[in-house]
Amino acid sequence: MGLGKRFLYAMPVMILLFITSIAMAGDYPDIGPLPERKAPDSKKAELGKMLFFDARVSGDAALSCASCHNSEQGFTTRMPLSDAYPGSKHWRNASTLLNVVYKGKAYGSDGRLDDLDDMMRDMITDSMNMNMDMQIMQERFKQDEKIAALTHDAYKETGWGKGGMGTSQRGEMTHYVARNAIGQFLETLTSKNVPFDKGNLSPNAKKGRELFEGKAGCIQCHNGPYFSDVKPHNTGVPENPEVFKDPQRHFTYVAYMMFMGVDNRMNWRRDVGYYTVSKDRKDVGKFITPTLRELKYTAPYMHNGIFSTLDEVIEFYNQGGGEDRPGMKDAAMKPLGLTAGEKEALKEFLLNLSGDPITVEMPKGVKVEYQPIPKWKEVKN
Amino acid sequence: MKNKSKVKSMPLKALIKGQKSKLVKKFFILFIAFMLIAAAGVVYAADAGKSRPLMPLPSNPPIPTDNPSGTNVYPSKMDKKQELGYLLFFDPKVSGDGSISCADCHDPKQGWGFADPISRGYPGTVHWRNSQTAVNSGYLNKIFWEGNTFSLEAQAPAAATGGVAGNGSPDMMESRVRFTPEYVQRFKEIFGVEWPNMDHVWDAMAAFERYLSQPDTPFDKFMKGNKNALSAKAQKGMELFKGKANCAACHNGAMLTDEKFYDLGVADAPEFEESGLQQVTVRYQFYAKGSAEEVYRTYKHDPGIYFTQKRLEDRGKFRTAPLRYLKYTAPYMHNGTLFTLDEVIDFYNNGGGVDRWGNKTKILKPLNLSKDEKEALKEFLLSTSGEEIRLPVPKVPDYAPMADWQPKK
Repeated sequence: MGLGKRFLYAMPVMILLFITSIAMAGDYPDIGPLPERKAPDSKKAELGKMLFFDARVSGDAALSCASCHNSEQGFTTRMPLSDAYPGSKHWRNASTLLNVVYKGKAYGSDGRLDDLDDMMRDMITDSMNMNMDMQIMQERFKQDEKIAALTHDAYKETGWGKGGMGTSQRGEMTHYVARNAIGQFLETLTSKNVPFDKGNLSPNAKKGRELFEGKAGCIQCHNGPYFSDVKPHNTGVPENPEVFKDPQRHFTYVAYMMFMGVDNRMNWRRDVGYYTVSKDRKDVGKFITPTLRELKYTAPYMHNGIFSTLDEVIEFYNQGGGEDRPGMKDAAMKPLGLTAGEKEALKEFLLNLSGDPITVEMPKGVKVEYQPIPKWKEVKN
Repeated sequence: MKNKSKVKSMPLKALIKGQKSKLVKKFFILFIAFMLIAAAGVVYAADAGKSRPLMPLPSNPPIPTDNPSGTNVYPSKMDKKQELGYLLFFDPKVSGDGSISCADCHDPKQGWGFADPISRGYPGTVHWRNSQTAVNSGYLNKIFWEGNTFSLEAQAPAAATGGVAGNGSPDMMESRVRFTPEYVQRFKEIFGVEWPNMDHVWDAMAAFERYLSQPDTPFDKFMKGNKNALSAKAQKGMELFKGKANCAACHNGAMLTDEKFYDLGVADAPEFEESGLQQVTVRYQFYAKGSAEEVYRTYKHDPGIYFTQKRLEDRGKFRTAPLRYLKYTAPYMHNGTLFTLDEVIDFYNNGGGVDRWGNKTKILKPLNLSKDEKEALKEFLLSTSGEEIRLPVPKVPDYAPMADWQPKK
């Protein structure tokens, strides 16, 4: 191999190293307006909206998606720790669904699934969420004349290759169709009229932006148009004592760890976060960076709702985050030395990442009962 | 390779050279064993087509070696494992949403079954078959209407996790039990484990169900020689049962079931046509039990044990129901379509129901029973039930936080 050829091979590696070094020195994906997405199919989204509010999506028909992703409360709830399926209580804050379609990977605050359809599947089937057998769910929706008609109208052109029994017939409700329709509805839950996106920032908010990208260092993790690197970080958020004080929350967390195959699950007295996914001890206490968009509507904050106001959150970062064992916390977390004015400016900028309130009214005709199918013995199932 | 063949050939050499007498002895034992098997085969062949005799129940159900418990049955005192099972049987922690327990579909006040034709299901659902009594279930070899489960230890999780039954998830149910200090203590004492696990939950429940046995009914007493235990009428009924009415062709042995599978032509449950919620469950069953698309699309009747092997000749067949404790377990049949014993006797007197699948058993023929004969038969049938088994609903233990619940790094 000649020297020239060797150089040729080495070139890309050198370029890559150069780019990496720039990135490490502080070049992060630019914050900016959210890119346009393909508009959702309106019929499918309309069906998805019906299903989003339909409690028959849960095992005992007690909860709908909207129970924990409340359309009046920023598609999360104002409770620090979320409700869960009856007979259990959640140990984390419900994540907002606003702009969730932009996340693209690492769904859930521990980032356990990279596909939104998979995440919806688990939300429906997990014992602490909906505890639903999706085969039953499918048959429930098929029993509802109105949903069956909407499904036929929205999906008659689409033949599905997966989803189980009944997929050979176009326009028929299957559990895959149900998730697809809910996914189309989620596409409608995106920011509107955000001052930041419109370049409509007050001087103080502009100063906040400079701090965000500079002195305060928020940009290190909260970057890109979604304001998140969608990666796991340990910022030392304090544990929420309610999780362990309440046996129902604690055993729900233990059940989740069992489901995820986490070792030593009876003895953890902290939320191990991304460790449930990676099983690597250095990942204990890491959580996926949440988006900052629409945060005006999504208090309380952090994976366990431990902070009820933005001021508390800013002060938390100003002090360099919380505490953890040596070497566990992200190296980016350092005391910031922000003045009172700077904190105010930062807060103003953050609030300008929220647009018009996004609320959705519960559609009419969502039922919890079932009518028998007329001439049942004569028609096909 | 060489070494291996050497090792292999050594015992054979030893046998030929030094242990001829031992070899002969071995062949002799084998020969005897073979003859015994052959003889058994001849006896079995001769027995085919004949039913087993009626028998009294043994004083307790067989206790599996891998789940030992006391041999005591109701109303004597429970042993510790049975007592733990008693608590768990009534504890709604062992279900999906913590709202129903085993005892909701196997209610002591409803004959340890459920008095609707079709059992209630998990909240938001309905079941699709009649709930069977837990009493004497420890004597059965085949459980469920499809007879597809072979131990109480296997029946409990199937019911507790089934979508239209308990809908529980083992991870959640196990965690709930682990956060109940009284259970932790009891499991430690009985099973020697630091933390309860679900297998032990099923074991304890099964031990409790074996306690729900009734081996001392008038029928059992009569069979053990007490000729006064049955009235003359009931004794006449017993003769009809074995003879003219031919019930014993299938309802035989100590549990009054041969545990084989027959299509009787039982009518469809009207709920299938009348209830939307029921139709959801029926389609779900066709789907979840893995039948072909055609079955899912076109079946309107419960095809019974067809699901276990998907053989067309099995459609409409169910495991013969045991006839014990039936005084308390109306309505009858797999879908509860017959409300009283009189209706059941009339059903058989008419030669059973409709031959929907072409599988209806030839055993069923019109019986031409007189009114008195029907009455006698009924009196005999009632003699297989003793006093009602009633146990109070126990107070189930509460959750508590872990002793060291404080968060730590």
